[in-house]
Amino acid sequence: MADKLITDIGGEAAGDVPRDDYNMLFWEKQMIATFNMLQTKQLVVTDEYRRIVEEMPADYYKNSTFYGRRLEGIVALLIEKGIIDREALKERTKAIFDAGTRDHV
Amino acid sequence: MSEPKYEPGDRVQILDIGKPGHVRTPTYVRHKVGVIERYCGDFENPEDKAYGRWGGAPIALYRVRLMQSDLWPGYTGTPNDVLELEIYDHWLAPAAEEAA
Repeated sequence: MADKLITDIGGEAAGDVPRDDYNMLFWEKQMIATFNMLQTKQLVVTDEYRRIVEEMPADYYKNSTFYGRRLEGIVALLIEKGIIDREALKERTKAIFDAGTRDHV
Repeated sequence: MSEPKYEPGDRVQILDIGKPGHVRTPTYVRHKVGVIERYCGDFENPEDKAYGRWGGAPIALYRVRLMQSDLWPGYTGTPNDVLELEIYDHWLAPAAEEAA
């Protein structure tokens, strides 16, 4: 029998359902919009996203957030498909952090 | 598109096909027997699409109705509670009729 997927949690004890509202941060909205655009352009499909999440290390998965996982998943898929380059992404991220703004960087 | 193999009301067993990687059949329903609620249409296999293999032959998807009391030992809800979930054809096998 294949190992149980980290997302296959049906029936496990999970405690109470959190009922606090959550205000999405701006980057989270932007990132979800990016994900929707990638799907519309057929660069990524939902099934691939689910699979890449299931391939994440269990420790990372358990300690990550919904939006954090989504971002990591998008990056991993786009690198896997050769659409973006990890080093280029690192350099671009560093340039933005160093400048303290994304404007005109 | 081919004729669906199962019709609403048919008893089916959800299989454990032991397939590694991305699958859409949760562990807690495997080996359980339920009833076809409806045929949902034919769709590309998500187990292939998850790995970038797009454009495969569509396969039948069914909504299967299971009794909650069959799923959870010591279930304390009402005996009529059901769970319906969508299962692809290759995860299903015909099941014997329930003993009267």
